[in-house]
Amino acid sequence: MIRLVLDRFVGMVFTMALVSLLVFLIMELPPGDYADRYAFRKYSGTGVNVTEGDIQAIREDLGLDKPLVFRYVDWIGNIVLYGDFGQAFAFETPVTKVIGDKVWLTLGILFATLIVTYLISIPIGIFAAVNRGSSGDYLLTVFSYLGLALPNFLLALILLYFANRWFGADIGGLMSPAFERAPWSLAKLWDVIAHLWLPAFVLAWSAVAYQLQTVRATMSDELNKLSVTAARARGVPETKLLIKYPARLAINPVVSTIGFDVNRIFSELPIVAAVLGLTELGELLLRAYLDLDMYVAGAILLMLTFAIVFMNFVSDILLAWLDPRIKLGS
Amino acid sequence: MEPLLTVENLTVSFRTDEGLITPVMGVGFTVYKGKTLGLVGESGSGKSVSTKALIRLLPGSARIAPDSRMHYRAKSGELIKIETLGNRGPAIRHLRGGEIGMIFQEPMASFSPVYTIGNQIMEAVRLHRGLSGRQARTLAVDMLDKVGISNPRDRVDQYPHELSGGMRQRAMIALALSAGPALLIADEPTTALDVTVQAQVLELMRGLQDELGMGLIFITHDLGVIAQIAEEVAVMYLGTIVERGPTRAVIRAPQHPYTQGLLRAIPSLDRLNDRLQAVPGDIPSPLERPTGCGFHPRCPHKIAGLCDTTAPAETAAGPGRRVRCWLNEESGRPAA
Ligand SMILES: Nc1ncnc2c1ncn2[C@@H]1O[C@H](COP(=O)(O)OP(=O)(O)OP(=O)(O)O)[C@@H](O)[C@H]1O
Ligand SMILES: [Mg+2]
Repeated sequence: MIRLVLDRFVGMVFTMALVSLLVFLIMELPPGDYADRYAFRKYSGTGVNVTEGDIQAIREDLGLDKPLVFRYVDWIGNIVLYGDFGQAFAFETPVTKVIGDKVWLTLGILFATLIVTYLISIPIGIFAAVNRGSSGDYLLTVFSYLGLALPNFLLALILLYFANRWFGADIGGLMSPAFERAPWSLAKLWDVIAHLWLPAFVLAWSAVAYQLQTVRATMSDELNKLSVTAARARGVPETKLLIKYPARLAINPVVSTIGFDVNRIFSELPIVAAVLGLTELGELLLRAYLDLDMYVAGAILLMLTFAIVFMNFVSDILLAWLDPRIKLGS
Repeated sequence: MEPLLTVENLTVSFRTDEGLITPVMGVGFTVYKGKTLGLVGESGSGKSVSTKALIRLLPGSARIAPDSRMHYRAKSGELIKIETLGNRGPAIRHLRGGEIGMIFQEPMASFSPVYTIGNQIMEAVRLHRGLSGRQARTLAVDMLDKVGISNPRDRVDQYPHELSGGMRQRAMIALALSAGPALLIADEPTTALDVTVQAQVLELMRGLQDELGMGLIFITHDLGVIAQIAEEVAVMYLGTIVERGPTRAVIRAPQHPYTQGLLRAIPSLDRLNDRLQAVPGDIPSPLERPTGCGFHPRCPHKIAGLCDTTAPAETAAGPGRRVRCWLNEESGRPAA
């Protein structure tokens, strides 16, 4: 197992390196370079006449005249060694300051969504498979199709409406206004969690519907395995039997698509966030693109892709733990 | 001698999309301590269904008819009326594994691939012997050793796919025995194995049964195997037992035309030149059960107007023997 973890870890680091290179190349894509835009920002409207020489000076000052490879190494080196993502010129502050809490909030939404997705879809999928053909199973199937058909943002609007009416809660945003400037504390964390469940639920909606069907199908297959009958024939109590034998294998396809779910959550997040009035990384990323604020865009892209790569790593490890044949085979 | 298990009039039906089918109808047999009953019959004759009923392992769509009797004498001396137990609950769980063990046809599929064989054996030990931790492990290793697996100390921590087919079936036997059952049901335990391994596993089971004094129900479709292992044989056709009695007597002088056909189907050295003669015709589907005697469409001796209209009752046919056939009923005495 340790070998496998190391193996996959090396693979993850390698993938992250490749991804960071790609992100860097994307940052380089817009016309002009950082120095051009920096000079434009700094002096536009001030009446100062900027010459080619001035820009060249800025360029040298910032080390932008160095070859691409060096600049990449500088950039990623600063990130890895000092957690320094460079300067956001739109705000004249370090990127880390601009992004700041939004990283944690985005990750918070991500994990909350994943947890909600799996906590609902796995037990219910198992229940549906065990009670196949019952009215409960039938109801869940209908719900699943509804879940797959209903767009997220619509659901977000509906839920927002009802949450407001029933709980009177200001459910938009990620925390109560009172906490926005307050330092992190238990009370603030709790407040965030109270706000988190709604976006998490909205984002989890379609994934729940999909994964529920997956679990139900694989669980039904697993239930018919002779090894399950054999375990029953040696007197294993039913609940323990279901969890130990068929369920463990039935969640395999769910675990192997964690990375896919993360990806989907990130791409659906901006629109849901817009409806619910959240500020998260996706929205910031969009703004950074529009402003050609490439260090901010790069940092966000890097974090989102790293999150996906990391969750893929987690999924690989979990899979090997669930099914030891995987690690023995390699 | 008092029987370990008495089955009488066991009838099992399934609700299916095509309607109600009854693959087991009025089956009866007896198993004694330390003795082997061979249950033989073609594929689909209801061997597995009738034995699964004994530990209530049938799916929810199955129904055991209310006048079925399955009486089992537990190790404690208590008489357990299996037909009164449900599919769930502590009573049936205690019976499963601890009193009546079961071995299946597919040694690969009967172990879960994601746990070591030791894990699965120890599970049975913990459930039925009240042992825990190290003791359970020691017993598991001992059992693997007993069934002839070399390096049991290493094997106990291996996964099923790391073992060969024959080894896996030995491990499955070890698993079933480690729970200490008084009755073992072996449902075609050697069918999936190649011939030499088959012989070894048979030999092993015979030895273990002698040593542990268990009752054994050995299911197969091969009368040749029955001859090697079983004192008593019951021949099943289309959900009923058409002939039963001491193996030697039945094989020497089969009385039911179906048994006679099965015996002719066994290739033997002195008849190698003869064309292999199986029982002609196919076993009908349980949905299209023939009227009268189930075997009459394939029977070379059928009596028109009798066999195709009325099912024969089971009649005595010599010491310890019973036959369900009009030919016998005409000549023999009706069973008491
Ligand atoms: N769950 C079920 N639902 C409906 N019919 C079933 C079910 N299980 C078994 N049957 C039917 O019962 C009949 C007897 O099956 P059984 O498995 O007992 O045969 P068998 O004698 O063990 O055959 P084999 O030698 O192939 O194992 C078959 O015709 C089968 O179609
Ligand atoms: Mg069978």
